[in-house]
Amino acid sequence: MSTAGSLTTFDEVFAADGVPRPYAQPLVDELERLGADSLVAAGALRDAIFMRQGITFDLTNPEGAVADRPFPLDLIPRIIPAAEWRTIKRGLAQRIRALNHFVDDVYHEREIVKAGIVPWTLIASRSHFARAAHGIRPPRGVYTHIAGCDLVRDANGAWKVLEDNVRTPSGISYMLENRLAMTRLIPSLFAHFRVRPIDQYPALLHAALRSVAPVADGEARIVVWTPGPANSAYFEHTFLARQMGVELVEASDLVVRDDVCYMRTTSGLARVNAIYRRLDDAFIDPLEFRPDSLLGVPGLIRAYRAGTVAIANAVGTGVADDKAVYCYVPEMIRFYLGEEPLLDNVTTYLLDDREQLELALERIGELVFKPTGESGGKGVVIGPATGEAQLAELALAVRCEPAQWIAQEVVRLSTVPTVAADGTLAARHVDLRPFAIFGDEIRIVPGGLTRVALEPGSLIVNSSRGGGSKDTWVLQDDADAEHDPPAAATFAPPALPDLRLRSWTGQAQQQQQQLLAPP
Amino acid sequence: MLARIAHELFWLGRNVSRAELTARMIDGVFQADLQGRPDGPAGVTLSWEAVLAIMGSTSAGEQGAERLSRADTVALLSTDAGNENSVVASLERAREGARTVRDVISAEMWEAINAVHLGLADASIGVTGYGGPYSFVSYVKSRTALFWGVASRTMLRDDAYAFLDAGGRFESADMVLRMLRVALPAPGERAAGSPRDGQALALLGAVGGLQAFRRTGAAAPTATAVASFLLYTRSYPDSVAASIDAVRAALELADASPRASVPVLRLSRVLSDLDFRGRVGLGDGSELLEVCEIVGRELALADGDITDRYFGGVISPTHVS
Repeated sequence: MSTAGSLTTFDEVFAADGVPRPYAQPLVDELERLGADSLVAAGALRDAIFMRQGITFDLTNPEGAVADRPFPLDLIPRIIPAAEWRTIKRGLAQRIRALNHFVDDVYHEREIVKAGIVPWTLIASRSHFARAAHGIRPPRGVYTHIAGCDLVRDANGAWKVLEDNVRTPSGISYMLENRLAMTRLIPSLFAHFRVRPIDQYPALLHAALRSVAPVADGEARIVVWTPGPANSAYFEHTFLARQMGVELVEASDLVVRDDVCYMRTTSGLARVNAIYRRLDDAFIDPLEFRPDSLLGVPGLIRAYRAGTVAIANAVGTGVADDKAVYCYVPEMIRFYLGEEPLLDNVTTYLLDDREQLELALERIGELVFKPTGESGGKGVVIGPATGEAQLAELALAVRCEPAQWIAQEVVRLSTVPTVAADGTLAARHVDLRPFAIFGDEIRIVPGGLTRVALEPGSLIVNSSRGGGSKDTWVLQDDADAEHDPPAAATFAPPALPDLRLRSWTGQAQQQQQQLLAPP
Repeated sequence: MLARIAHELFWLGRNVSRAELTARMIDGVFQADLQGRPDGPAGVTLSWEAVLAIMGSTSAGEQGAERLSRADTVALLSTDAGNENSVVASLERAREGARTVRDVISAEMWEAINAVHLGLADASIGVTGYGGPYSFVSYVKSRTALFWGVASRTMLRDDAYAFLDAGGRFESADMVLRMLRVALPAPGERAAGSPRDGQALALLGAVGGLQAFRRTGAAAPTATAVASFLLYTRSYPDSVAASIDAVRAALELADASPRASVPVLRLSRVLSDLDFRGRVGLGDGSELLEVCEIVGRELALADGDITDRYFGGVISPTHVS
């Protein structure tokens, strides 16, 4: 891994001359006031709280042993000024709208193929292309109900999209828990900022699921579907079910009868209208996908096709977050929306193309290689950080199946000061995953999960590989205020009677008199 | 049992309950406040003024125009022993009460309440440090929960337990009612989309009822929906209806002739009134504030009735050292 030394990196708190950027000045002042000791103490409290609350993740060490570790929240928040956030928000909404169009198109008219923009062979060869979804149009035409795109800032500070996640993006619970923990650990940091709240996320998600649930009359019954407690994101599944006040179901709780999905309850079968599923397409229905899946519900796709149940995200959305399809997203935005993309892609090479393959393999030591169908950093090889032998192996693998790989330029991720074990601050690389919800309209919660590489100079932010996270503060400015609820400035609380302290005021007086009176 | 002992137990329960609910309120409001807008319009927060109003805190109210800062208010309501409505003052009174009735309550209960003292002396449990009130609040919550848990496991279900329980539940009915009266929109105020929705939610979170509320149904968490929930829902233990029912049940148990007991009859009337109103609610929630005021008045009267009927003959003892 190359270090930050030689190359320039964009730091989000300190400008090139080492002076804090104006919006970060109060943060720097407050951190100086607190000092290293306070940060160390707050860190110890954080670990204790997270262990007690069970906010942990499994860390697999090189020997293969799995350890339960407190989620590594860094105590320095990452601040995003309002103007920057507006760019991100619009860019993401645009991108997600285009991706949603694309999924619809792939399983229906295939206009983008007919227009010669995306080759059909590429789409059909994607591992997450789902033939079973052909011709199914879910309620309101929404496929990508929950989306989380990974954003990075390059050396100039420009925001770029690194990856799209429109299958089952995870991390939302950590974003919410991080904020809650920060209000408990170092509330004084909040004092100088107007941070936009994020705790409306579960309510937004619930509303979005309700809005797409096919229901004739009465309340929609919504469930969160988890693969089970053994899943590494089980904490998040329980968190979302609890926060939305809905049932958390496993496959054995669901049953399909006559194209209708039910769950088994103590009072018989109960109709399910919408399912927020947290497992991949391949496992959801053994009749349509992997027949060996024990996690699936037989007949679910039949019910889905009949339109009696909504599944979020829709079946087959994986085709849109494939890394080879990623290259075409800017084209999609132009094709479907007639707009110019507001957020750029990172420069990417499609290795399916012979010319690009040769060029990429020549520079194998300078590029990042990613398998197209994976997520969560699986199988990613960072050229500059990899040894000769492994690179030769990689070259072989890429040559065998060039369509299953892409190559990207290395992005010098921006840095944010981060607390080291001794309480001192040091710059570490970060990325950002904001979360969008698509129901009636696209809503993006102000903030997101900032992941941070805790090793000096490292660009790997995945928590499963030693990364941490930061609370992300989107600042409020007056342009946002128009959309917020009206002020309660004139609020005057009613006068209530005083709290009573004793029942015997009368007698206490009596006693006092006794004491005062001479015997 | 002795009227004096019953009185002490009733107030022991009230003070423990009051300390807990005050601490919870500080927690909820503090967190909502952090993410709000310090320079005025409070989108989703319950203001500290409202909290002071809930506490009927004369010490703060009389300072008039001079507005207290966030840190001052937290300190005033939590650790300021000079303010008789602070958490620490309530706990101190509870400890004094428990000491008086040490022979009646179990040793474990006494330990649970006496240890609070020692815990609060620990410097890491302050509210003024960089950590804010979190460790203080969680300490108070865990100690009071321990007290009630030990009480429910170790105490004979006799009159003594009934008065202790009645006191605890009476106080939670009173405090929740106070919270609602501050959080509900005033007459004439626009109800839908009101910033008070956020206040109600902050309070619901503070009393620990957020999850219970969500599980009761899919109603959006508006001020009126939250208020109906906290007022009428018998299946939620901290709702006003459930608390009043528990007080009534406890007094019925302790009273030799409950059918002739003024407080029991009054509480029963309030309860059936609440049940009726809960069923025929106007739908828009405009009646809720009025219901809260009526129930508040009735509770104050019931407080007097309880004192008259059970502690009427109590003369405050004169201790000579």
